[in-house]
Amino acid sequence: MSALLRDGEVRVFAQYDRDFTEEADAVVVGSGPSGAVAAYELTRAGLRVVLVEEGPPFTPGDFELDGALSMARTMREGGLRTTRGTVMPTMQAICLGGGSLVNSAICVRAPEFVLDRWCEQYELRETTRADLEPHYDAVGEFLGIAPTPEAVLGRRNTLFRQGCDKLGYASEPIQRNVRGCRGSGECFTGCRSRAKQSMDISYVPAAVRGGARVLTSARVERLLGDPRRATGVAGRIVAPWSGRPGPRFRVNAPRVVLASGCMATPVLLHRSGNLANRSGQVGENLQFHPGVAVMGVFEERVDPAFGATQGFQSQEFLREGFKLETLWAPPAVLAVRMPGSGVALKERLARIPNSAVWDAIGSCNRSLGRVRPRRGSLDPQLLWHLHPDDVPILAQALYTLCEIFFAAGAHTLVPGVHGIADEIKSLDEAEVLRGGGLRANHLVLGGNHAFCSTRMHGDPARGVVDERGRSHDVRGLWIVDTGTFPQCPSVNPMWTAMALAHRAAPAIAEG
Amino acid sequence: MLALLLVAGCLVAVALRVFAGHPRAATHYRHLARREVAFLNAAGDATFPRGGAIPASGSDADVAGYVDRWLAVSTPRIRALMHLLFFLVEHSTLVAPARGWGGWRRFSSLSPEQRIAVLDGWRQSRHFARRLVFTSLRAVLTMGYFSHPPVLRQLRLAPLAIETPVCEADLLYPPVGRPPEAIRFGAADLTPPGTAPPVDLDGPLHPDYAERAG
Repeated sequence: MSALLRDGEVRVFAQYDRDFTEEADAVVVGSGPSGAVAAYELTRAGLRVVLVEEGPPFTPGDFELDGALSMARTMREGGLRTTRGTVMPTMQAICLGGGSLVNSAICVRAPEFVLDRWCEQYELRETTRADLEPHYDAVGEFLGIAPTPEAVLGRRNTLFRQGCDKLGYASEPIQRNVRGCRGSGECFTGCRSRAKQSMDISYVPAAVRGGARVLTSARVERLLGDPRRATGVAGRIVAPWSGRPGPRFRVNAPRVVLASGCMATPVLLHRSGNLANRSGQVGENLQFHPGVAVMGVFEERVDPAFGATQGFQSQEFLREGFKLETLWAPPAVLAVRMPGSGVALKERLARIPNSAVWDAIGSCNRSLGRVRPRRGSLDPQLLWHLHPDDVPILAQALYTLCEIFFAAGAHTLVPGVHGIADEIKSLDEAEVLRGGGLRANHLVLGGNHAFCSTRMHGDPARGVVDERGRSHDVRGLWIVDTGTFPQCPSVNPMWTAMALAHRAAPAIAEG
Repeated sequence: MLALLLVAGCLVAVALRVFAGHPRAATHYRHLARREVAFLNAAGDATFPRGGAIPASGSDADVAGYVDRWLAVSTPRIRALMHLLFFLVEHSTLVAPARGWGGWRRFSSLSPEQRIAVLDGWRQSRHFARRLVFTSLRAVLTMGYFSHPPVLRQLRLAPLAIETPVCEADLLYPPVGRPPEAIRFGAADLTPPGTAPPVDLDGPLHPDYAERAG
């Protein structure tokens, strides 16, 4: 097997015609937010870096505007992955840039009280907000992270602000890694305006400019080395979308950086001989931010298709366990939750131009699960249970959304909760949400953001990595994805994941 | 011997009931069997009947054609699960018949009212698994219905024609599946920095969604 790539080269599926081996100072597995930041920073530190991504790069012409077809192309398992236990859909991207290509670019710094709790409960010494601030700043400057401008908020977002203002709840435009947003609301299917600074158009090109080699359509199947020392990775080239296997490859490197995501990294470690798992924590402690949403119908025309996909938020209730946001998604995805069938359903659908959807994500630290390899597949088997004590948090979040909707002038709400009325017309009717009668399987949940499956902990017996992402057990191995979070961060995790990767880079470069 | 014949006869009757007698599809589908097309049309029209606030029906929107395209880009596992979903709901009424005359038939052979009642039964079931099956089917049907350009146009949700600027990344990556020679842009094509105005919902639609003459 011989080397294939020149420095600063991006390889795509059509170019692989034989088995090959690359030599590098560091190999980074996964090109999502944390992997791309790590690859760029290691390149800047003067290392010869190979970045490996299982998915292909997408050009704007490859974006599917239709929701399901887009998910089939950009998401693992066609976007139809679910957890067992409490059944909940959850997604993981498979493309250059990872989730950043198909997320809504929300950037929020983790709250101080959350990071303090991490430090206190997980024996971390340098992960306070003050410790991370310079890293947030560096990433923020690189990506142009800024509040959503007024011109592209659209009515869907400003109604949320109006409702919050009326109730005295703090709210603000969401900070996003976007330059020149045009308000097309297409974040989830790929930004045709090239405004969203997803990793494939920001950090990855910068790393390539610095000499990084990028293998796309390359699936890492195992780590090389022994239980005490990682020396590289090996895998196969796979055809985009079909996954048809092609030539084999390996990358020899004294530094292996895993950034393949909270659900893939533990599978990779398990498949590499249960590596880095003396603590027994690999694949354990899986947490999500389970999400719930309410649709509100207004007298006025909202034209929800216009405006930043997620442009406004309220962090008023973070300590109570939830964060509120505006939302837009491919129309079919939103229409799925409309109740009824036949003519009645069509009448409801016809009100979409007068509707807005807002969602809440819950900090459900008691709701835990685990990640295991699925037999005969490289996909994970996910088990997760929404803890009964976390149900009231989500119920209260739903009620608060109803409150804001009515304050903003909505006349009808569709809460999408089993066991209560399909439509709610007043806040009194919404009280049923807080009545304590709801159970986990009454809620229609979405598994936003996943964490903790390779958590950091100061004590090697209780965590997989230290707070710089270094494996407690295996020399030369780092993990920098959201799996290292010791708990859910209560807010959207991308900026924190990138800040942690930014902080880890010098330690990785030192070796 | 007679008992054996009776059992065999029953098996043949059940097999015919399950697998035979579906109408021939007007179009050729790559991944959907004839019985699945019949089922999707029946379920699509029960969920989205013709007329009302949005004129197109499920079959007008060619939900089955959409599902066939969806299956074509799905993994074998997802394809198998979808086929299973369609089989399950189509034949559920042979086990738990719909109310009313002739309710002990396949879903696609029921009357429109019975189909709606069956789907509502799944939606409001106290068993989570049944509600989950309904949600899955409903997602498939809704995805198909909302892929129909006239539906999106009526709701002002059709994607717009958006001019895509050329950025540094466009000089690095070819379209998916193509070699680097397929990269169309060079440094001279890079779009200078600037701020394009917000999109206009009254502006021209993406060609795939625009109304065509005739």
